[in-house]
Amino acid sequence: MRIAFMLFILGVALPLHASDAGVDFFEKKIRPALVDHCYKCHSADAKKLKGGLRLDLKAGWQLGGDSGKPAVVPGKPEESPLIRAIRHDNADEAMPPNQSKLPAYVIADFVAWVKMGAPDPRDGNVEIKRVKQDWETIYAERLKWWSLQPLAVKPPPKVAGARNDVDRFLFAALAAKGLKPAAEADRRTLARRLSFALTGLPPTIETVDRFLADTSPTAYEALVQTLLASPHFGERWARHWMDVVHYADTHGYEWDTPAKHAWRYRDYLIRAFNDDVPFDRMILEQLAGDLISPRLHDGANEALIGPMALRLGERRHGDSAQVEGVTQETMANIIDTVSKGFLATTVACAQCHDHKLDAVGQRDYYALAGVFMSTRWGVRPLEAVDVNEAVIAELRPLKQRIRGELAKRWLGTRDELIAKLQALPVQDKPGFPETYAALYQRMRKAPIKFQDYLEERQRRVEANNANLKLLADFTVANGAKDWHWEGAGMKHGLVREGEIVIAETGDMALSQILPAGRWSHAWSPRLAGALRSPLLEGVPALSLGFAGGKHVGQSFILDHAFHSERMKFLNQPNVGWLTLSANKFDTLEGSIDKMPRRVYLELATKSLNNYFPPRTGYGGVTESDAADPRSWFGLTRVYAHPVGKPPIDMLARFAPLLAGQSDPATKLATALLAAVERWGRDACRAEDVLLLDEALRAGWLANDLKSESLAKLVAEYRTLEKKLEPERTVGSVSEWNEARNERIGIRGSYTDFGAEVPRGNIRFLGGPVSLKNPHSSGRLELAQSIASPNNPLTARVYVNRVWLHLFGEGLVRTPDDFGHLGQAPTHPELLDYLADRFLREGWSTKKLVTFLVTSAAWRQSSAMSKEAYAVDPENRLLHHMPMRRLEAEAIRDALLAVSGRLDPQLFGPPIDPYRTAEDAAKRLLRGPLDGNGRRSIYTKMTLMEPPRFLALFNQPIPRLTVGKRDVSDVPDQALALLNDPFVLAMAKHWSERELKVARSAEQRIAAMFTAAFARPPSGAESARLMKFLARSAELRGASLQAPIVWQDLAHALINMREFIYVP
Amino acid sequence: MSRNPRCPGFASAFNRRDFLQRSSMGFGWLAYQGLAQQWASAATHFTPRAKRVIFLFMDGGVSHVDSFDPKPELAKRHGQQAVWRADALSQGTSGNRKWLRNLWDFKQRGQSGLWVSDLFPHIARVADELCVIRSLVGESPLHGAQALLLHTGRTVGAAPSLGSWLSYGLGAVHEQLPGYVLLNNDWIPNGGFQNFASSFLPANHQATMVRARGTPVDNIDRASPAPVQRAMLELLSEQDGAIRNHEIAAHMQTAVPELCDIQGETAATRRLYGVDRPSDFERFYALQCLRARRLIEAGVRFVEVTCPLTHNNNAPWDQHGQLKLRHEENARITDQPVAALITDLKARGLLDETLVVWAGEMGRTPHSTGSDGRDHHVSGYTIFLAGGGIKGGMTFGATDEMGMSAVEDRVDIHDIHATILHQLGLDHERLIFRFGGRDMRLTDVHGRVLTEIVS
Repeated sequence: MRIAFMLFILGVALPLHASDAGVDFFEKKIRPALVDHCYKCHSADAKKLKGGLRLDLKAGWQLGGDSGKPAVVPGKPEESPLIRAIRHDNADEAMPPNQSKLPAYVIADFVAWVKMGAPDPRDGNVEIKRVKQDWETIYAERLKWWSLQPLAVKPPPKVAGARNDVDRFLFAALAAKGLKPAAEADRRTLARRLSFALTGLPPTIETVDRFLADTSPTAYEALVQTLLASPHFGERWARHWMDVVHYADTHGYEWDTPAKHAWRYRDYLIRAFNDDVPFDRMILEQLAGDLISPRLHDGANEALIGPMALRLGERRHGDSAQVEGVTQETMANIIDTVSKGFLATTVACAQCHDHKLDAVGQRDYYALAGVFMSTRWGVRPLEAVDVNEAVIAELRPLKQRIRGELAKRWLGTRDELIAKLQALPVQDKPGFPETYAALYQRMRKAPIKFQDYLEERQRRVEANNANLKLLADFTVANGAKDWHWEGAGMKHGLVREGEIVIAETGDMALSQILPAGRWSHAWSPRLAGALRSPLLEGVPALSLGFAGGKHVGQSFILDHAFHSERMKFLNQPNVGWLTLSANKFDTLEGSIDKMPRRVYLELATKSLNNYFPPRTGYGGVTESDAADPRSWFGLTRVYAHPVGKPPIDMLARFAPLLAGQSDPATKLATALLAAVERWGRDACRAEDVLLLDEALRAGWLANDLKSESLAKLVAEYRTLEKKLEPERTVGSVSEWNEARNERIGIRGSYTDFGAEVPRGNIRFLGGPVSLKNPHSSGRLELAQSIASPNNPLTARVYVNRVWLHLFGEGLVRTPDDFGHLGQAPTHPELLDYLADRFLREGWSTKKLVTFLVTSAAWRQSSAMSKEAYAVDPENRLLHHMPMRRLEAEAIRDALLAVSGRLDPQLFGPPIDPYRTAEDAAKRLLRGPLDGNGRRSIYTKMTLMEPPRFLALFNQPIPRLTVGKRDVSDVPDQALALLNDPFVLAMAKHWSERELKVARSAEQRIAAMFTAAFARPPSGAESARLMKFLARSAELRGASLQAPIVWQDLAHALINMREFIYVP
Repeated sequence: MSRNPRCPGFASAFNRRDFLQRSSMGFGWLAYQGLAQQWASAATHFTPRAKRVIFLFMDGGVSHVDSFDPKPELAKRHGQQAVWRADALSQGTSGNRKWLRNLWDFKQRGQSGLWVSDLFPHIARVADELCVIRSLVGESPLHGAQALLLHTGRTVGAAPSLGSWLSYGLGAVHEQLPGYVLLNNDWIPNGGFQNFASSFLPANHQATMVRARGTPVDNIDRASPAPVQRAMLELLSEQDGAIRNHEIAAHMQTAVPELCDIQGETAATRRLYGVDRPSDFERFYALQCLRARRLIEAGVRFVEVTCPLTHNNNAPWDQHGQLKLRHEENARITDQPVAALITDLKARGLLDETLVVWAGEMGRTPHSTGSDGRDHHVSGYTIFLAGGGIKGGMTFGATDEMGMSAVEDRVDIHDIHATILHQLGLDHERLIFRFGGRDMRLTDVHGRVLTEIVS
């Protein structure tokens, strides 16, 4: 004890080779502490060895754990992970875990022990047995999993009673268990089942009657074709896919900010399913629609809408330099959605470690993260066809004529001009004047010597030459270099010196005379523009020759944040230098750490701004600002320069005013009119623009509309300008060939990194591939490998999803997980057969649907035999068609359809759901009770508070992929059917509509019953309903014709089980 | 330091509680009491100390240095330039910030001498019941992230709520008992309904919302006269056979309003809670607290009461400015009913088996850029627990002398969750649900039961 105490005191001075005293210290102090506090998890006796680290052997800490670094560095406590862990230096690595620190004296013992060289006698010949199996061995073993094998296509077995090969596989399996399929359902049942399955709507009475009357042997197939051709097919099947990509119109979290025009993606899906776009093409479009050939619809590039799929769900505002993990959480969600959605593989499980069960390594996660982290999330214009060219061709000569009118007027005002100039007050401000007015005013006090001017000018030219580096030149067509502009405004906005901007309204002709550059408002402030920089590296400061207004957004986008709160709204209508500096752009001020980030600059008008409208209150944007379609900006040149050394005025334009002897006012007027003359014939110089713009703003040149001919031209321009169509835009992605690989986050950490992983695909799909462009993200190659027929998963997973939507359960009952925690296919050979057939039929959803619904299996009755139940109670073998409850949307749509309130219109912006309370701060607004009669797919999915009626019937919260919905059967649903105001409104609407047709009560009941259930009531049912009608009339003291009585009847029909169930 | 959503991986032990999954379905139980068999009470992992939880969510972040964590040093250095530890997680770690003294005086209360400020005079009177935890540490100083962390154990909204986990883990006292009831005060906190949602747990474990104002529960008001509805139910019964959900729903129309109706409470009880106080906000909050007691008496496992938003703000207690005015207003609304609830539970012998949790998602900075506001702060803040087998009249953990960082017995939300589950007889490492290729836990890979505060 005494020795130990002395060693503790003298520890530092001890030699590093272990002495007996050292061993003694170990035995007395360290070994007991290790046994008490560490062996439970870090010894051969550990139930489960944690972190691969053993502390019951010297070799254990020498070798270290999974990190591969020694846990103790003899003599160096500060470098010993063990010491750092027990001192709780880093909360993530604090040991023992989830406990208070060890007592201070124990920690001190450990420090002393390490300082003395960590003497440890436990060295024997015991070998460390690495509990952790080698990943390569595990991986090779896991690759044998069924879903990773190539499709094994076998010919279907021969059975009786089959209509197609689906039946051959199913019936053979039934026969093997001594079971038979159920009989075919009756025609009315089939008509209703088909209509809901293919369109999500009940069949009209006419459709059913036509089907019943069609005696041809292909009547059923004809009905299938009719329904497949219905535009409502796309609505139904788009909605299924929207569960996979967790579609929402907003991003939830704190402010429920809008998902930028997400509804265009919903419409895109509807069109894609209606047009039967091959699914491999849809995969390419949703992952890499920006990188493949366009697909046109109505003049827009559909492909560019696809990547909205990657952006949906909860997204936080801010970036990862403000709040740790913002970007990483987004990436995790994207990787989860892509891997589950297309591949039914849970790659997100491998964020922190290799997958526990499947053939997915942690490297796979970071390979995918490298792809998506190298993707920019910009808003993109969709127009593939320029619809504005013709209008601009008409506007162009008008502008010329307006200019001519003005030039003529101004040239005739020389005397007036001189008088105005002479009336300017005398001023004496320090420094060299930078406007004509200031120079003129100075000169009237004390003439500036021409030599002084020349020297000042020379000094300035030299300073600019020394400081400025041209990054982008927007005054010429191809000067933008690696800065990219987008939008119709920018496309048509390349102008020469002296371009005019016609005032939109009011009694002035011009609002501005522009220098050469690219100006989004050159023709109209409603045309869009965006400018994005390359990643800013090694640039201390930037200056942009800029003007803009109407909430043009300027933002530094850091680590590809969705909603950068570094955004500012600029209002700088006069052209000048916009100087931005951050010392280092890759570690912007206000960051939580000094990690290098990816940063680029974005300037964007409203419709091309990812974060517009921003969360309520941000940047002072009001809801009326948000609704105003106008927004504009433009640029001349961009320079890089040292901080504090922006471009300075080189004063060249002042030379004519300083040379010569005449009166300054006369000289200025002469110069101005010479400029006007050149401007009038479109031969303007840069210096002229500065003078003209100043003169215009100062009112030296009359800009009013008193001239009738000018007023007429301006009015004509203003009328014509309204014909310009702002382009459609949508939140999408873009590839900048600026990719970086990600490094493995140790145990999922956002700040502690391991090795860099080449970006690319999941290893079992081929891993990294050679990129066409070595700097590209690899997103296209990833998309191609997912959309490949050689990929064992994609076709199986999709076919299974379609099967699930038609049969109620998948062949694999875990549609989002084909891994070890998922279920095995009930009919593996059928699954492979269908996947193969799907590929051979060109990835056609409609052909697949047709094949499945025309099988005898799908046409089975939902009646189940006792024998079948006894053998297979879960109906895994499909011995009958399961009775299914309608999905939330189908229930609401059926209410609209049956009551006659349905507005069958397709597409368009979403409609706010009905709510009892609004929250304007979160834009949770109350929509109409019946959603204007539009189908549920058009109800706005506000993530923060999803539509309640739909949620009640298990519409999933759109945050995670949901391949298979819950189906709950709870009293709350009965309460809604009994009391929800929407249900009551539909009952009322339905009954009022029925009462307009003169018929007997029995006939009316039959008609309503048939509309609801696609079958007439039986005699007993009819009598039952007549009895209820009479009872309602009696209780309400009303006649049998009273609307309220028929409303009760409609309400009762809606509450019948058959209304929301399909046999 | 960095945290991220982690997973416990795959547990080979299969600890399914599937048989309880479908067990709670909203308020149907009220109507069903006569019919239902007594539901097998919870398959807990060990003997529970508490049967249920009442969670009083102080949305927006109460200032800890103005309420339960006195810092005389703040008063001494009031107005001086603030300096802070490197591990401080708060808004505004740069710029011109000055220490701001407590705006309410602290006193020692009760037998225990627990410190409570004059901000909460009523709660001060039940000080001996409280276990004040002064060393809670969050993950990021943002409302949305912290509200979700407090409710779901994750800063990103995709995990089930604590109430849903308890509903799932414990099942219901009756087959139709709602596991989780949210007594809302007409305001959706940051993070949205995900705070109260069941996520990947079966949908019936999400919160059933009871509103303060107007109709308490959606669709509970009968849309047709009772006899007409009865006739309709008869028709449905003839048509469909068993119509259990409809029958239950019909009974709920009277049972739920009865449960939510406090007219039957004595004048003394009404006075105790303050249900007749002057403003709507006060009345409604008191009403919801009284309903909380009625609900747990009826057997609900987890009742949460949210705060009302009285003014245009990001969250009720989020006072970057107007600290004095708005904290007092919020205290006026919540203080008396919260204290009344604890007093009432105690008087009825329910406190020992009811765990009351009073917590916001964050604290507030001890420094300020002004004189009447504090910003977001999560590196050391205060919550309290009461009843449910937790020691009363004690404090646990400590922040540094300025109230910046927890320096003693640092506790995170996962520890609180683990402790709550523990008191209800559940092992947070064994309460799991398989989803997305993992076995998910409320506490993820974290969590320690705070045995020091368990009585």
